[in-house]
Amino acid sequence: MSAPTTGTDRDGTEGTEGTDGAGTRPAGTHRAKARPAAALDFDKLFAARLHAARVRPYLATALFALHTVASRQVPTMAVDRHWRCYVSPGFVDRTPVEELAGVWVHEVSHLLRDHHGRGDRVARERGLTGPGERLRMNIAADCEINDDVYGEGLVQPEGVLTPEYLGLPTGQLMEDYLRRFTLGALTQDLVWLDCGSGADGLERAWDLGPDGAHGLSAQEQDAVRFRVAQGINGRPGSAPAGWRRWAEEAFHPPQPWRELLGAAVRSAASGAGAGEDYSYARPSRRSAAVPGAVLPSLRRRPPRVCVVIDTSGSVSDTELGSALLEVAAIARAVGGRSDMVSVVPCDAAARIVHPLCSGEGIPLIGGGGTDLRAGFAKALGSGARPDVIVALTDGQTDWPATRPPCRTVVGLFHRNARSGWSEDDPEYVPDSPPAWARVVTIGSGHGTR
Amino acid sequence: MPSHTPRTATDAPADPFPVPGRPSRLDVAGQLLALLRDTTTEPRPDDQLEALTLAVAADLPVLLWGEPGIGKTAALTQLAESLDLPLTTVIASVHEPSDFSGLPIVGDDPAEQGIPMAPPDWAVRLVRAGRGLLFLDELSTAPPAVQAALLRLVLERRIGSLQLPPGVRIVAAANPRGSAADGWELSPPLANRFVHLQWTHDHDVVIRGLGGTWPRATLPGLDAGNLPAAVDHARRAVCGLLTARPALVHRLPSGETRRGGAWPSPRSWDMTIRLLAFANAAGSSREVLSMLVRGAVGDGPGLELLAALDRMDLPDPEELLADPAGADLPERGDRRQATLDGVVAAVRRRPDRSRWDAAWALLVRALETGAPDLVVVPATTLAALRQEDWDVPESIERLAGVVALSRRADLSQERAAARTGVTAGAGR
Repeated sequence: MSAPTTGTDRDGTEGTEGTDGAGTRPAGTHRAKARPAAALDFDKLFAARLHAARVRPYLATALFALHTVASRQVPTMAVDRHWRCYVSPGFVDRTPVEELAGVWVHEVSHLLRDHHGRGDRVARERGLTGPGERLRMNIAADCEINDDVYGEGLVQPEGVLTPEYLGLPTGQLMEDYLRRFTLGALTQDLVWLDCGSGADGLERAWDLGPDGAHGLSAQEQDAVRFRVAQGINGRPGSAPAGWRRWAEEAFHPPQPWRELLGAAVRSAASGAGAGEDYSYARPSRRSAAVPGAVLPSLRRRPPRVCVVIDTSGSVSDTELGSALLEVAAIARAVGGRSDMVSVVPCDAAARIVHPLCSGEGIPLIGGGGTDLRAGFAKALGSGARPDVIVALTDGQTDWPATRPPCRTVVGLFHRNARSGWSEDDPEYVPDSPPAWARVVTIGSGHGTR
Repeated sequence: MPSHTPRTATDAPADPFPVPGRPSRLDVAGQLLALLRDTTTEPRPDDQLEALTLAVAADLPVLLWGEPGIGKTAALTQLAESLDLPLTTVIASVHEPSDFSGLPIVGDDPAEQGIPMAPPDWAVRLVRAGRGLLFLDELSTAPPAVQAALLRLVLERRIGSLQLPPGVRIVAAANPRGSAADGWELSPPLANRFVHLQWTHDHDVVIRGLGGTWPRATLPGLDAGNLPAAVDHARRAVCGLLTARPALVHRLPSGETRRGGAWPSPRSWDMTIRLLAFANAAGSSREVLSMLVRGAVGDGPGLELLAALDRMDLPDPEELLADPAGADLPERGDRRQATLDGVVAAVRRRPDRSRWDAAWALLVRALETGAPDLVVVPATTLAALRQEDWDVPESIERLAGVVALSRRADLSQERAAARTGVTAGAGR
């Protein structure tokens, strides 16, 4: 997204007449140093940055890319969406160096994780307006950062906000935290909390704005993020899990599973040989108008979709319910009538094929282990062959050895780590879905990034 | 666009008893419509449009991805106007495959003469004009057979028996998979031939436009004197990256999320060179370049290329060492540190006394013009390069502040280690 350029696009703050060429900035003195009365202890601030860069080498690029501005209006330290860092001289004065190092990392995390952009997106999607909501975004963003950036050479600064303080679980994303708390007694003491427009997207009085000096353009920000992500991916052992997850997703954001599943099923159902397409089987209605020309006509055959559902104990009813409704909706959208969609509940054995006349009427009973091979066999062996098989499972199953004679989409329920797999045999790792199936992971990423 | 025909005496059912001299109701409506149509434009840089223009100028097929109703067609109209090309819009979803592959016409003696595939009229007109902008809209809602026929048009530039002349440029538009009604999805070989541009609307532009002032993009012009340098620069950038990262030459997309998008292959790298050269000759911004490059080879490889371009833009260490007093160091911290690291690495590669001294002078200069913490690592590395017979230069005293800063960070780290050591046992 390009920053809006309203008014002057001239670098107005430093008197750079005649040098408005693309991207070149005049080498001037350090802007913040020039301020007379600020008396910001730069040595202390930069010693803290050095500390931060040493204990978090993968963040060094981002830390050094920040432009420091002394400001008396900021309560502590704050960032804006153009990668400027505003620092209160008093705050630097009364905070130990090792805690300042933690604050550096905290502030740069807001920018790396694009909290302002995500905040804007959430605000649009959920209709959140007003400073109160932006404060909640700042709090949620702080929770996302603070649960794993400290430790290992980085002190948690005094009075920092953690999810535990609000009674929330750790390891969530800002968007998830945002759903889980409201402003109230617990957050009463947090109203001073202010990480700037870089954290929640709300412009602050002290912001230099898009036209101010030393801002990073969107492309430059991406480049810095990319270099940091590469640094983390290059040495995955040295970064905590939260940063590794960020680095994996920084430029390959997870898409919402509903859209992916929908696209996969639609594509499978409308591909050649299934669903709507042209055929020369009967002459076109246009033929009469164009004598002598051979025209194809449009013929539609509604796709037959068969949903194989893993009803073993490890898949929850809510997950199944939402996924099944989704598939039914997609099948309707591609022109399938509800009697063309069938459902095969399957645990260790597949029982019976149900037509999907009403979404609620199918008994999803089962439990224990899963063997989807039985479900596939049942789906293919019962009457009319389906055009598409959609398998909804958590993946703890065996798969058919050969490719089924129709398109296959696997909706894989998201499971954390390998925790659930070691009940009897710690060595047991189920087969991953075969290469011939299109796999959509369900339940990971809620369209957040 | 609403178009209204001049009112005649017979088509005025809304005003059954027209009085001479009194304006009819439709005339008033016409005045209102004219007022509504009366909008002005203002020049405004538009990165999306500039990227689209460059890709079209470079004669590469472009695929615009965007939600319906955000102004893709309007942008194409503006582009055609500015390039002075007649615009032919073909809504793919209302056509039959034979409209693109040609209608088979049964002649007198099919066995002897064959059955010719007759092209549709717009194609004939396009060929006769010799130039034009062909816009294939609504690709995503066309049935698969139509899409297949269209792709032959895009790739081979053939419609039936007609070959489109080189003066015809092709742009296609598709809705993102999430909002597509049908399963439009490019297979990897086809995706690889397009420059994929994500088309989004700018909130401010829309608000201002609905208020009566639409933007008018200033389109890039190519600098004729700069062409050989632009080609050279583009080739050097891509070859330099691919020499260092051979794995990037060809990488098929894997995973559901990356389907249908851009991915790197020798073909798309070739397209990238072309786009780089055009962007360079037009003096385009990094934003535009970023859209084009990421649209050709995908996000990851595109960003690597952009990072490589950034490195190419850093000052040459040898030039800095030759003239430390007049050195112009980058302002931004991370770029400055990369430059200083490059200088120290250059000294390490070919160490001699004068280069070592020059590097110290550069570090002093960096300290005087920017943040001191950036200088710590290069200074430490440079100090370790000292050979026995080299005297410490006088200027090094001015780096005393750096040593103090480093020491202060050391102490802070020790204190932090002591404090986190305790919490580490309790917490994580």
